[in-house]
Amino acid sequence: MSITPILEMEPALQDLFAVRGARRAAPPYSARKTEDIISALTRFFATRMPGATPENVSRMGGGASKEQFVFTLNERGGSANRFVLRMDPLEAITETDRNREFQVLAAVQGVVPAPKPRWMDADGEFFGRPAAIMEFVAGVTKPSGAGVKVSGLGTWLGEPLRSRLRKPFLENLVALHALDWRALNLPRFTAPTADPKQAARWSLNYWRQLWREDALEPLPIMTHAEQWLIDNMPDCRELVLAHGDYRTGNYLFDEASGTIEAMLDWELARIGDFHEDLGWILMQVFGTFDNGVFRASDLYEREEFIQAYEAATGRKVHRKTLHYYDVFSSWKCYVIVNGTGMSVARAQHNHQDVLLTFLGATGAMFSADICRLLKQGVPE
Amino acid sequence: MNPSVDDRLASIIRSLTDIILPALPGEAGLAQEQTHLAIGHLKIIRAQLDSLPAFEIEELADTRALAAALLSKAAGGTATRSAVDAVRTALEQDGGDEHQRQSRIRINRAIDELIRQLAVDGTADFRAFAADTVVRMQGERALKDRKWFALMGFDSDILKSC
Repeated sequence: MSITPILEMEPALQDLFAVRGARRAAPPYSARKTEDIISALTRFFATRMPGATPENVSRMGGGASKEQFVFTLNERGGSANRFVLRMDPLEAITETDRNREFQVLAAVQGVVPAPKPRWMDADGEFFGRPAAIMEFVAGVTKPSGAGVKVSGLGTWLGEPLRSRLRKPFLENLVALHALDWRALNLPRFTAPTADPKQAARWSLNYWRQLWREDALEPLPIMTHAEQWLIDNMPDCRELVLAHGDYRTGNYLFDEASGTIEAMLDWELARIGDFHEDLGWILMQVFGTFDNGVFRASDLYEREEFIQAYEAATGRKVHRKTLHYYDVFSSWKCYVIVNGTGMSVARAQHNHQDVLLTFLGATGAMFSADICRLLKQGVPE
Repeated sequence: MNPSVDDRLASIIRSLTDIILPALPGEAGLAQEQTHLAIGHLKIIRAQLDSLPAFEIEELADTRALAAALLSKAAGGTATRSAVDAVRTALEQDGGDEHQRQSRIRINRAIDELIRQLAVDGTADFRAFAADTVVRMQGERALKDRKWFALMGFDSDILKSC
């Protein structure tokens, strides 16, 4: 299934493509049963922490990507703590590496609130698929009255939450982008330092490779936009540790106080252009419209967010580069929902095929957005 | 009388809603979540059912219109000309019993290749024309697709215009 040669991209991500072809030919995937997880956890902790016993194992809801279970670990000394097991299904809506996620979670501790990673089963020796265990963090990803919404799309926070969450949302991003990635222990990450366009090229090529392998049918605007993205790659002026999926829906907050308890979903983190995170945050699909006024993540109006980021970081947000990543974000979303998501559902390789085909219907929003952005051009 | 697809879907939705969902244990979160999604999917499919043939015919017509528009101004070197011939062949091919969906995919594949090849040696005028045409016509198509999926509830903007 893998099309060779794999495009130039970050080496650890190239490794993922080298092995995913074999999985594509596998038979349908079955959702993991709780009793199997209890058994795997018991065997795992017998080697990692003899005497510790897992209990109260239950599946966590939400998410569109990984299998997740929460459990209590009773330790020998009498303490009992809650943990989250996050493991790969056979295939998911995104193709990512649990090792990278584990490393980045460890690297941001004390800088950005994030679940503390504790153990890894990188090769799936115990869980059958790669898995990571992290400390449980209490909180919600949307207000309790928000109703049923899929994966944080268009979450309405309302007041007073909006006012309370705005500041930490920005501050955490600023803190993340201020990290000196050179000083962090991130052996599975490689910085795109060969030339000024390598950051954009590596990001684009990762998603181009997925689109090549997963597109069930071509769409002319996707082909045209891909060519536009190749032709217009910006230089990266400053590399940062980017989250990759920073938005409302991907953080846990305390509903009463409005404090952000943890940023989640670090699997798409990379060392790259800070504009890439900004373009993603500013996507219309993750925001709300209030009397025609757009709010990114229901927190900031677009221009307001850009100016707040500039003021907090001292960086200049280059509008042409941001426009590039606006287009890229919509193009990437189409790859996720209509390329990888739909092909994984067709192969029956996920435990949430019905969710993946539901999300596939968002594709038209992204193709419409690509058309709008390309028609609009770079804002003056 | 044969039972209609609409009646059959309605009975499945009722079964999932009134019998299966309430019988799921409280701790079966994933099963509850997926049953809700299955019910939602089926309700939307039911609402789309009668319009589906017309929708797919229009999708194909829009694809053919895009191909024809591109052919009207196509100019370039060997790679572009070869891709143009393939689009023309795809348009003229008698699909026989082929479903509109297959015809659309077949023509889109040829358009896809033309867009790739005109980047190699299409004339500057044709590249500019193709860029404008693809963005405009695919934008119009995307609007129809957004309306088609408005009931999914993701797209608050389009819901207001339906």
